[in-house]
Amino acid sequence: MTKLTYFPGCSAHGTSEEFDSTLKLVMKTLGVEMEELPDWNCCGATSAHVMTENLALALPLRNLVLAERLPNKTMGIACASCYSRMKTTKVEMDSHPELAKKINSTIVEEGEYKGVVDVKSMLQFFYEDIGPEAIAEKVVYPLKGLKVACYYGCLLTRPKSVTQFDSPEYPISMDRIMEALGAKPTAFDFKTECCGASFSISDTEIVLSLSGTILEMARESGAHAIVVACPLCQSNLDMRQPDIDKKAGTKYNIPVLYITQLMALAFGYPLKDLKPAKHIIPIEPALAHIGEEIETPEEKKKPRKVVEAESEVE
Amino acid sequence: MIALGQQIENKFLEAVNKKSGSNILECYQCGKCVSTCPVSSFMDFPPREIMQMVKLGLKEETYMANSMWFCLTCAACSSRCPREIDIPRVMEAIRHLAIEENVDPDNPKVKAIRKFHEIFLDMIKRYGRNYELRMMAEFNIRTRNLFKDMHLAPKALLKGKIPLGHEKVQRAKAIQRMFKMAEKLEKIK
Repeated sequence: MTKLTYFPGCSAHGTSEEFDSTLKLVMKTLGVEMEELPDWNCCGATSAHVMTENLALALPLRNLVLAERLPNKTMGIACASCYSRMKTTKVEMDSHPELAKKINSTIVEEGEYKGVVDVKSMLQFFYEDIGPEAIAEKVVYPLKGLKVACYYGCLLTRPKSVTQFDSPEYPISMDRIMEALGAKPTAFDFKTECCGASFSISDTEIVLSLSGTILEMARESGAHAIVVACPLCQSNLDMRQPDIDKKAGTKYNIPVLYITQLMALAFGYPLKDLKPAKHIIPIEPALAHIGEEIETPEEKKKPRKVVEAESEVE
Repeated sequence: MIALGQQIENKFLEAVNKKSGSNILECYQCGKCVSTCPVSSFMDFPPREIMQMVKLGLKEETYMANSMWFCLTCAACSSRCPREIDIPRVMEAIRHLAIEENVDPDNPKVKAIRKFHEIFLDMIKRYGRNYELRMMAEFNIRTRNLFKDMHLAPKALLKGKIPLGHEKVQRAKAIQRMFKMAEKLEKIK
């Protein structure tokens, strides 16, 4: 059985509880044993690196040091922001031993950093350590008919020097996993555009504007739902959607699901395990498309060709 | 008069280069960062202009811009920069220098953003973990905007989006010591 150290992050125990609970179900099906990092602390998120240099590295470093006490070789991180801070710190520590020594001095009683634990986002873990084929094998309820816009946000693939994963411009890992589940990823150009992140509280206008454009592009791509792997992206696109609609005079009604919710559904867990009540935009109408036949572009073109042919005759 | 080939002292540029690990002189002002940046339209000066201002040593003007405070660190600019400048880190370096020198633009939005980050860090210092409900409440109290986002509260609470209760780190003392030590290190430089 594969073993994984699990770093949930503050959101997984708060606004993104449905990410946490479905992640646990999915890992059970995939045969991965998750061990939550004991006494983990907040990674500092955006605020630590906005305001300070040392704290931005010290906070994640404590978690990295704690993770080294466990026998597991990899730490899987649910939140994209936690993942980015933790991986950034790992890269900095591994490439600058002097800096590592300096930052380690702030948490000396927790132990010395050795750099033996790898850090991965859950998306990366699913894609690299499990693989779309193995995921497809576990599917008992294919999501055929469901069209999804795979939204990665900024930090799961950027900066490339830190993440070393997928493409910073047009990633495909989540798309491949969705295909493995039977769903159809749409051609979605705003995969890696920023949702506005923590400005949700401090300057909401920015989030309404940025997340609004992402919703518009998802709608244009023909998606029934947006899939995410980050709690902040989810809350900006879902919880702020009524505000976005109000400001722009739109009515998107696009539910925003975690990748693990759709995996759990395809693995045969009942709808109630997805905790649909937690969503501001209801997820049921989108999921009702499962089982429908998807029109291929060729089929769509057919009637037009007939019209053209007729006009030529005339 | 400046003689041909004479080096002009630009301490600001040197400081930003050192802190960011990039050489801003390599920027050839193509503007790719501006067209990539999702928040450049909210900035007083977009990233390209900030680069040029640093090159010219316009320290005060740079510190007075809101640009570094609006940077999302989304790294879209640096992924596309043909000169491979780590622009988010440059923005960060300028912001840290401005904080060290205790200057920030007299701009209510920047003050709100700064306040948000201060409250966030304060919360980690006290509890080791963040708690979204308390975060939002404290932000509203400390920015004297009590009713901001109140329309979200009933729905979020009813749906169980936000649990009632703040998780804490057991060894909170270790976190507090870390904050103290990190502050000390910050002053040594």
